[in-house]
Amino acid sequence: MKETILNPLFKGNPISVLVLGICSSLAVTVELKGALVMALSVTIVTGLSSLVCSLIRKSIPNRVRIIIQLVVVALMVILVDQFLKAFAYTIDKQLSVYIGLIITNCIVMGRIEAFALGNKPIPSLVDGLMNGLGYGMILVIVAFFRELLGSGTILGFDVLNRFGYVNNGLVILPPMALIILGCIIWVQRAIQKDLQEK
Amino acid sequence: MEYISLFVKSIFVDNMIFAYFLGMCSYLAVSKNVKTANGLGIAVIFVLLVTLPINYLLNKYVLAPGALSWLGADFAGVDLSFLSYIVFIAVIAAIVQIVEMVVEKISPSLYSSLGIFLPLIAVNCAILGGSLFMQQRDFVNVGESAVYALGSGIGWYLAIVGLAAIREKLAYSNVPAPLKGLGITFFTVGLMGMAFMAFMGISL
Amino acid sequence: MNTNNNVYTVIYTTVVCVLVAAVLAFVSQSLKPRQEANEKAETISQILAAAQFDCAQMSNDEIIAFYKENIASSKLVDAEGKTTDELDMASAEVYSVSDLKKQNYNIKDGSKLADATLPVYVFNNGITVIPVYGAGLWGPVWGYVAFESDLETIKGAYFDHSGETPGLGGKIKDDPAFREAFAGKKAIFGEGNPFNIVKGGAPAEMENGIDAITGATMTSKGVEDAINVWFEAYRPYLLAGAQAEAIEAEEAAECTEAIEAEEAAECTEAIEAEEAAESTEAIEAEAAEESNGSNKEE
Repeated sequence: MKETILNPLFKGNPISVLVLGICSSLAVTVELKGALVMALSVTIVTGLSSLVCSLIRKSIPNRVRIIIQLVVVALMVILVDQFLKAFAYTIDKQLSVYIGLIITNCIVMGRIEAFALGNKPIPSLVDGLMNGLGYGMILVIVAFFRELLGSGTILGFDVLNRFGYVNNGLVILPPMALIILGCIIWVQRAIQKDLQEK
Repeated sequence: MEYISLFVKSIFVDNMIFAYFLGMCSYLAVSKNVKTANGLGIAVIFVLLVTLPINYLLNKYVLAPGALSWLGADFAGVDLSFLSYIVFIAVIAAIVQIVEMVVEKISPSLYSSLGIFLPLIAVNCAILGGSLFMQQRDFVNVGESAVYALGSGIGWYLAIVGLAAIREKLAYSNVPAPLKGLGITFFTVGLMGMAFMAFMGISL
Repeated sequence: MNTNNNVYTVIYTTVVCVLVAAVLAFVSQSLKPRQEANEKAETISQILAAAQFDCAQMSNDEIIAFYKENIASSKLVDAEGKTTDELDMASAEVYSVSDLKKQNYNIKDGSKLADATLPVYVFNNGITVIPVYGAGLWGPVWGYVAFESDLETIKGAYFDHSGETPGLGGKIKDDPAFREAFAGKKAIFGEGNPFNIVKGGAPAEMENGIDAITGATMTSKGVEDAINVWFEAYRPYLLAGAQAEAIEAEEAAECTEAIEAEEAAECTEAIEAEEAAESTEAIEAEAAEESNGSNKEE
């Protein structure tokens, strides 16, 4: 159980180690707020989808497995989307199509395939939630640096500009998200040497 | 003329990978050598080209607010847009499955080169992303959506083949140990993205 | 149980789909009023922001109440500037972004221009707000431009977008300096565009131009196009409004003149009358005297 909880955060982090779910994530890391909401949404979606798929794992016909999983995931995503639209309208608008892209976020499908289909509901739920968090953690780190260096603010509050910092427009543009992510991987693998590739 | 402009724009300016980060997972995972990258790229073009026009028609005549008005005036107020994610993804998954079966029957050699990638494509964000962007931009007719699909697919193909070629060369260079593999790939993609940004101001 | 036979697969898939659709329909229906309220409050708050009312800290209900309090009339006009319909003020009816999108389609397609119904919001303090809608770099951009009562001088503006890069194109919404630049500028219907957003900076003497956002040329261009396309559609209305103002001024002037003229006339009459009276008296007196004299002489 401890393994299930801790592994997704560091050693088996879905983004920096398993390379899952980068698609929908990097575009929402321009500002910290969007990243936090995205992290939360993905955590909820992975957790609930893993739970549901694990509950029905024995009854799913193998041939339509992928479609059924996608339908379950899509259901969760639409629910999150609908609730955001009703209760956090401005944030929902900011995330626009990327909230829909959680459906094809490989983390969700990856954890269902790799874990939920072979395990009991409760561990599956925990696994889903922790993977969502592991993903969210990277998202928040990237967003922190991009907002700080790109706009000089944190969560919209002025931090650097008051010291005469000139915003670095490049950090806001998409490619820098990848480079910051590269740096995170660099740091992580420099510390955890066993993750290094040959 | 509009078609050409849309086509060129969707390849370079609105590149799925470099402008939107769509389809990153398989992009990074299957770009270790040019041959497999080639196969996946072609599969993506193909699936995009089939699914996007279908989803366009579904959106126009079933899902969008008031789209059902062709059934009669009673249906004019129906708004099924909340179902669009689920319908789009179901169409994509179904098409991928059908394509897989058809290709297997008709051309076993193509199947053996494409086959393993097809299931991967169902969860490729570029495909669903294409449909969602199509919905957001409301194209005027099926032709435009097909041209957009072809352009986006080719853009994705160019990006993955380009990256695969660079990675093949990178294998011989002396990269710091923690950066080997994934890390340096991220940097590479970032730099390629910056290069592609040169196309950004182009209006055709 | 054999989960791989065909009948089971089909039934299972059908049941799952029906269940999922039912859950979604239920949730979507029950959350719809709230979502629509959010959308409406946002639209209204943007209209108010363009008209330079401060409503940043208000809740949805307060925004709508404030709007109802301050709106003088909200109507729909056609591309010839004639009022075709009223928007219901009691329920604070406004055109949503998707309504604007439909109208944008009408405006851009010349043959459909006659179908266009364009909203105009007039506030109690004389400010008139009209919407604009167009394409930015990544997705649609839209906004509201507020005019002073002369329908020529811009009071303020507010813009929003669905996917411009935050920190670059996103500045049309987030950077107050961009919005504030609109204040005091004019929409000029003559040669060239009614309004310009100039890359590299607008000349200071330019009455109908502001600076583009550095690093967001395409978004600035999109906003400029949106403004110009919509201003053109509103042109008859705006010009008619400006003329009405001019006519009023003229009438007022005429009226004053008329009053003056009247007064003058009265005065003349009075003077004349007086004079006449005097002269009559004099004549009569003279005549009387004369007759007296003649009598004496007799």
